[in-house]
Amino acid sequence: MSDQVKISHEELERDGFCQNPFFECLVAEVHEEDKAKEGFTMVGYALYFYTYSTWKGRSVYLEDLYVMPEFRGKGIGKGLLGKVAEMGKKEQCVRLQLSVLEWNTPSRDFYAAKGALDLTDNEGWHFIRFDGQNLDNLANEAPKD
Amino acid sequence: MDFSIRAANVEDCKDIARMIVELAEYEKVADHVKVTQRDLEQDGFSKNPFFHGIVAEVPEQHKTKDGHTKIGYALYFYSYSSWSGRAIYMEDLYVMPEFRGKSIGKALMSKVAQLGLAAGCNQLNFTVLDWNKPSLDFYLSQGSFDITADMGYHCMRCEGEALEHLAQP
Repeated sequence: MSDQVKISHEELERDGFCQNPFFECLVAEVHEEDKAKEGFTMVGYALYFYTYSTWKGRSVYLEDLYVMPEFRGKGIGKGLLGKVAEMGKKEQCVRLQLSVLEWNTPSRDFYAAKGALDLTDNEGWHFIRFDGQNLDNLANEAPKD
Repeated sequence: MDFSIRAANVEDCKDIARMIVELAEYEKVADHVKVTQRDLEQDGFSKNPFFHGIVAEVPEQHKTKDGHTKIGYALYFYSYSSWSGRAIYMEDLYVMPEFRGKSIGKALMSKVAQLGLAAGCNQLNFTVLDWNKPSLDFYLSQGSFDITADMGYHCMRCEGEALEHLAQP
């Protein structure tokens, strides 16, 4: 789905490092001698932000968890995930949520092994989205102040 | 019917807490609600709030049997898509049953969309239960799409012991 990526590093710099950041991010690095073929030492990341459940309170949402393919199977993904959970715990979050694609069996198995519940399968929750022109149209119908 | 929508303030937390329970009853899970009025006051109205709210009010002459003039709310927060950037997430949208069918829900949702656009957001996201056909039909008729049905995204959650375990250093 790489054609879906619309933002660049400029938006990340603006939105993640301003006064009221929209997200936080953890990165995984390896030593120089273990760097990737292309020379990268930054080999994984987790991007997350704080959310709220009106039932249970403070929560953390894991938007992205990624480890470069050649560095998988070494516990790096698990380390990143654990660190996000720890950051959430510091903020007294009682939930960690994320989404995963139905066909992504390795990831679904990974999260299930960590005790994650599939709310779509178990409880019937569906994600709904407004974007583009539909979002503009909806906003235009808001009552005037 | 005459109604107005405005930003929630800390004094609204009592009514918001009441309506959160009403919404949970509608979703058949009222015993799941642990958040109290005090939690809302602390988490929504401190220096770095976890959420924001808007409230729908009717004039005194249209108040409910129990005397409430605050008859609907939407609770939202800012989120992020690593593909599209800034987004707004609508956690709750609720109108008391006797005030439905008067476009108050639509007005609340539109207001959240407007606030999102004003903050530079490209998406308004939320979740709905698959058996909640009236709500699902309403949202789809307004131009939203079902990412779970169309793209196969599943919502996942870690909580309780599983979360404690994950957070072990």
